[in-house]
Amino acid sequence: MEFFKCSIGGEVYGHGVTEIERGIAERNGMKVEEYKSPNAVQEKGFNFDDSRIMRGAWRNESNPDICKEFFRCLAICHTVLPEGEESPEKIKYQAASPDESALVIAAKNFGFFFYRRTPTAIYVRESHVEKIGQIQDASYEILNVLEFNSTRKRQSVVCRYSDGRLVLYCKGADTVIYERLADGNNEIRNITREHLEQFGSAGLRTLCLAYKELHPDAYESWNEKFIQAKSSLRDREKKLDEVAELIENGLTLIGCTAIEDKLQEGVPGCIATLQRAGIKIWVLTGDKIETAINIAYACNLISNEMKKFIISSETDAIREVEDKGDPVEIARFIKDEVKKELKKCTEEARSYFNSGSAPKLALVIDGKCLMYALDPSLRVMLLDLGLNCHSVVCCRVSPLQKAQVTSMVKKGARKITLGIGDGANDVSMIQAAHVGVGISGMEGMQAVMASDFAIAQFRYLEDLLLVHGRWSYLRVCKVVLYFFYKNLTFALTQFWFTFQTGYSGQRFYDDWFQSLYNVIFTAVPVVIVGLFDKDVSASLSKKYPELYKEGIKNVYFKWRVVALYAFFSIYQSLIFFYFVATTTLTAKNLDGKIFGLWDISTMAFTCVVITVNLRLLLICNSITRWHYISVGGSILAWFIFVFIYSLICHLFGRENIYFVIFVLMSTFYFYLMLLLVPIAALFCDFVYQGVQRWFFPYDYQVIQEMHKNELNDTGRAKLLEVGNQLTEDQARSYAVSRLPPQISKHTGFAFDSPGYESFFASQIGVYAPPKAWDVARRASMKSRLKIVLQK
Amino acid sequence: MDLDSGSSSTVGAGVQAIPGRPVRRGALYQFKQQNLPACKPVLTPATVIATFLLMSLIFIPLGLITLRTSNSVVEIVDRYDIECVPEEYRSNKLLYITDDSISKNCSRFLKVPKSMRAPIYVYYQLDNYYQNHRRYVKSRNDKQLLHGLGDNSTSSCKPLESAGDLPIVPCGLIAWSLFNDTFKFNSGSSELKVNRKNIAWKSDRDHKFGKDVYPFNFQNGPLIGGGKLDPNTPLSDQEDLIVWMRTAALPSFRKLYGRIEEDLDADDVIVVQLMNNYNTYSFGGKKKLVLSTSSWLGGKNDFFGVASLFIGAFCMLISIVFLLLHVKNPRPYGDATYTSWNKKSSSS
Repeated sequence: MEFFKCSIGGEVYGHGVTEIERGIAERNGMKVEEYKSPNAVQEKGFNFDDSRIMRGAWRNESNPDICKEFFRCLAICHTVLPEGEESPEKIKYQAASPDESALVIAAKNFGFFFYRRTPTAIYVRESHVEKIGQIQDASYEILNVLEFNSTRKRQSVVCRYSDGRLVLYCKGADTVIYERLADGNNEIRNITREHLEQFGSAGLRTLCLAYKELHPDAYESWNEKFIQAKSSLRDREKKLDEVAELIENGLTLIGCTAIEDKLQEGVPGCIATLQRAGIKIWVLTGDKIETAINIAYACNLISNEMKKFIISSETDAIREVEDKGDPVEIARFIKDEVKKELKKCTEEARSYFNSGSAPKLALVIDGKCLMYALDPSLRVMLLDLGLNCHSVVCCRVSPLQKAQVTSMVKKGARKITLGIGDGANDVSMIQAAHVGVGISGMEGMQAVMASDFAIAQFRYLEDLLLVHGRWSYLRVCKVVLYFFYKNLTFALTQFWFTFQTGYSGQRFYDDWFQSLYNVIFTAVPVVIVGLFDKDVSASLSKKYPELYKEGIKNVYFKWRVVALYAFFSIYQSLIFFYFVATTTLTAKNLDGKIFGLWDISTMAFTCVVITVNLRLLLICNSITRWHYISVGGSILAWFIFVFIYSLICHLFGRENIYFVIFVLMSTFYFYLMLLLVPIAALFCDFVYQGVQRWFFPYDYQVIQEMHKNELNDTGRAKLLEVGNQLTEDQARSYAVSRLPPQISKHTGFAFDSPGYESFFASQIGVYAPPKAWDVARRASMKSRLKIVLQK
Repeated sequence: MDLDSGSSSTVGAGVQAIPGRPVRRGALYQFKQQNLPACKPVLTPATVIATFLLMSLIFIPLGLITLRTSNSVVEIVDRYDIECVPEEYRSNKLLYITDDSISKNCSRFLKVPKSMRAPIYVYYQLDNYYQNHRRYVKSRNDKQLLHGLGDNSTSSCKPLESAGDLPIVPCGLIAWSLFNDTFKFNSGSSELKVNRKNIAWKSDRDHKFGKDVYPFNFQNGPLIGGGKLDPNTPLSDQEDLIVWMRTAALPSFRKLYGRIEEDLDADDVIVVQLMNNYNTYSFGGKKKLVLSTSSWLGGKNDFFGVASLFIGAFCMLISIVFLLLHVKNPRPYGDATYTSWNKKSSSS
C-alpha cells in the first residue's frame, strides 16, 4: 500500500506510473520514461514525488487553502496510533490497515506530522502553514469519531481548532462522498471524478476527501442526538449510522487520494514463464470485474489479440430483474442467462477450433454467474469451456467458490492443481488443490499455515515449480525406478535359480546377503541421487520453462519407462545367473577343485552389487564426489562385510559362507568374472542410452548438450549479477527494506476490512459482529493475485 | 580437508560472519545448498564410440586368450551309467543296482586324444542330481561335523538324524547319500596311481570337519544310502565326504575324485575298473567319469572365452555402426531444433 497520487482541488499531483499503466503502454508499443527526482522521499507506504506540493511548495499553488485542508484531513481524519519517538524519522504508526498508515505517512511527508494522540485530541506538527519554513505544533480537539463500516464506506472526524473553529473531515468511497456534497462548485466535482476514473483504470485505490465547517449551535444539537444514539441499548449501530447521516452532508470536496496496491514485482514475468511451461492459469480474485481484467492484462494473462468471453451479472437485463426483488425469479433468470452465455461461448470456441486459425481464448466470469455456473447441470459446460481457454479469470468470488472451482478442475478434469494465495480467504482453495502454496506477507499467516509450501513472493513460484519441482520429479522418478530395478534384478537371479533346484525354494544367497542387500550394499547411492541429481542447472531450468512439460506429460514415469527398466532387470539377472552358473561345471583353479553352491552364489552376489551400483552412475546426470563415495563405499562395504562374515560366520552356526570369499579370491576366474559380468550386464543399458540420446533425445538432453561447455554453472554467479543491476523499483524496495521495520501490534481491524471492529470501537465497548457480507467485501478489497494453476 | 576448513573460516571472518548465519562457503554449505562441484557426463557420439571401441579392445583379446587357455585343457568325458549295466538288466536297472548279489564291476576303455600332462584330475559328474534341493541342502549339521556328539540338536538332519538313541554322525541326507562308485586306472600293464589326498578345499578340511569326530554309527540304519565311511578315520581326513558335502549349485555337477600324477601320451588307452555302486537309476540321473588337465583358468571352459569374444565383437560392431552413422549422417549436437517444443512449432 503506497500513497501514489492525489488530486487536490482539481489538480493531479504525482508523477508515478503504475505497473498496469506501464503494461498497457508497452502493449501499445510506447516506451515509458519515468522521471525520478533524486531527492524523492524513500519511505514505506509513500511512493510519491511532485515538486509542486512537496516541501512547502504547495503555498505557491493556485489554491493553497484547499491544499492545507487536504493535508489536515489526512493528518486528522483517521484512527491511527503513533508509537515511539515523536520525530518524523523514528515514529511508527499503528494502523489497522496499511492504507490508513499510508495516508498518515503521506501527510507527514507533506509537512503535517501527526505525532501524538490523546483520547480527546490529535497533535500535528505543521510546517509551512503561516509562512514557508515555519514549524508549529497544533492540537485539534477530537469531538466525535464516526467510524468506518462497510455500509457507510466513509469515516468522519469532528474536530475543534484551537481557535474554536469546528470542522468535520470526512473521507470515503467516491460514491458515498459525492452523494453528500454541497451543491455548487460542479467544476471541481467533475474534474475530480475524471481523475478518480483515471486513477481507477490505472489500478489505484481511491478515497475522496471532504470537509465541512460546522456552526457551533448546529453541532451542539447534533451532538446531543449523537450521544443519545451512542448510549442507546438497542440497534445502536443503526442509530449511530442514522445520526451520522444527519451531519455528513453539505460537504465540500477537497480532492482524492490514490493508493497503489502493488502487484508484487516479477508477477507478469513469472506468469508468462509458467504459461510457457505448459501450466494453465486460472485467476480467482475478489476484485471487481474491471480491476480483475486490468490486473489480468498487467500480468500478461489477457492480451488484446485474445478472444475474450465475458460472463457478467452486471447486465441491464439482470439488473432489471434484480430490481424487482423476487429472489426466486432472480435466481431462475440469472441461471438461464448464464446457461445461454455458456452455450454461446462454447459454440463460439468450438467454431474457432474447427476453423483452424484459433485465437487464444480467455474467459472472464464473475462470482454471481459462477455461483450458477457451478451448478451440477452447468459445471461440465463451464469446465469444458475453461479448459479450452488460454486463461480464465473469475472475479468477485467468495472463498468457498474458489475452493469449488479448484475442486471442479481437480476432479472434473483430472488435472493436477496448484492453489496459490496469500490471504485468509484463499485457505479453502489452497486446501482444495493438490498442491497448496501460501505467500507469506502483509495479509497474515493463515494461507501459509494452510499450505504445503510457503513462499515469500509470487515470483518465487517459478523457482518452486520449474527448478525444485522439476528436480524433485526427476529425482523421485529416478529413485523409484532404481529401487524397482535393483530389487527386481536381485530377486530375478533368485528366481532363475529356483528353476535349477527342482522348484524346491532353495535360497541362492545367504540369508545375510539377502537381508543386507537393500540395507547396506545398495542403500546410500540411491539416496544421494535422490538428493543431488540435477539434469540441468537452476538457471537453465528457468531459461527453458518448456522443460517442465516433461513432467506434465510424465515422461519419466510412464508404463513404457517402467517396462524398459523391467526389461533391463530381466536381461541383467539372466546375465548374472547364467554367466556365473553355467561355468560351474569345471574346476576353477590349477588345483582342479570345484566350486560349490555358496561359492557360486557369493560370486553372483558380488557381481550384482557391483553392477547395480555402477548402473546408478549411468543414470546420473550430475556426479558429485558423494556419488563416488557412496557407490565406491557400497561396493567396499560389501567386500568388507563378506571378508569379516566369511571368517566369523561359523560362530553363528551357519557355515555355508565360511571362507568362501577367500576361496573365490584365490582364483583368477573370479576376477575375470568381475570384469566380464558387470560389463556384459551394463552393455544393454549403455547401448540403449547411446541410441536414445542420439536418435530420440529428451528435451533436457538437448539443453545439456547446448550448454555443455558452460563450466560449473551453479546458478549462483548469475544471481549475483542480477543483484548488481537493480532496477529503479528494486533499488527503492531495497532501500525501503533497509528502513527499520514497522511492527504493528494491533491486527484486529483494518480500514478495508470492516468485519473486524476498530480499536476505538472496542474501547468504547461497541461490538459489531462480522457479517458475511463483510467477509465478501474484505475479499473484494484484495487485489493481489489469487491464482489456481492447472498443470 | 584441513586446508578447506581453514580457508572457509577466514572467508567467514572477512564478510563479518553474522552469528547464526551460515558461512557461504565450505563443504557443508555446498552440500546443503546442493551446489557441490559435479561432473556432468553427457554422452557425445565420440564418447559412445570410444567406449565401445575400448570395450572391444579389452574383450576380444581377453576372449582369445581365455579360449586358447581353455583349448589347451584336455578333457575326457565318459558316461558309464548305462554301459556298466549288464545287458540283461538294461530293462530293469533298478533291480541291478539294488541287488547286492550282482557284481558291480565294470571296465571302461578311454582313449587319450592328446597328451595330458600331470596332474590329471579325475572327476565324477552327476547329471539331473538335485544337490541344491532345499530339503537336501539343509539336511546337515555343521556343528556336529566339527564337534561330534557334543551337539545334539540334529533336527535339521531329518529324516536321518538318529539311529537308536544317538544321533548319526555325520547325520543328514547329504552325508547319507555319499557317492560310492570307485575308479581304478590302468595304462597298458601298469597301474595309474590315483592320489586321493588334498581333493577338498583346505578351509573345509581344517575348519568344518572335526579332527576327532568319527563316523562310528554311519550307515547302520535299515536304509542304506550311498557310501560308507571308515569308522576309524576322523571326518577331517575323509576327503570324499568333505568334497561331497560342499553341495553343488546346479543339478549337473562334477566332484573331484583324485589326481593321477603321471603324464599320459596321446592315443594311450586307459582301462578304468569301476565299481558301479551308486544308484542314480531310480531318478534318471546320469553318471560320467571325467579326466581333465588344468590351466590357470581351471578346467575346460569355453563359455568365458566365447562370451568375452561375443561382447567384444558386439561392441566393435556397434562402434562401427555408430561411427558410420556419425560420419554419414551426423546429428547436429546441441541443436535447439531437436527440442520437442521447437519440433512442434516447426511442423505445424
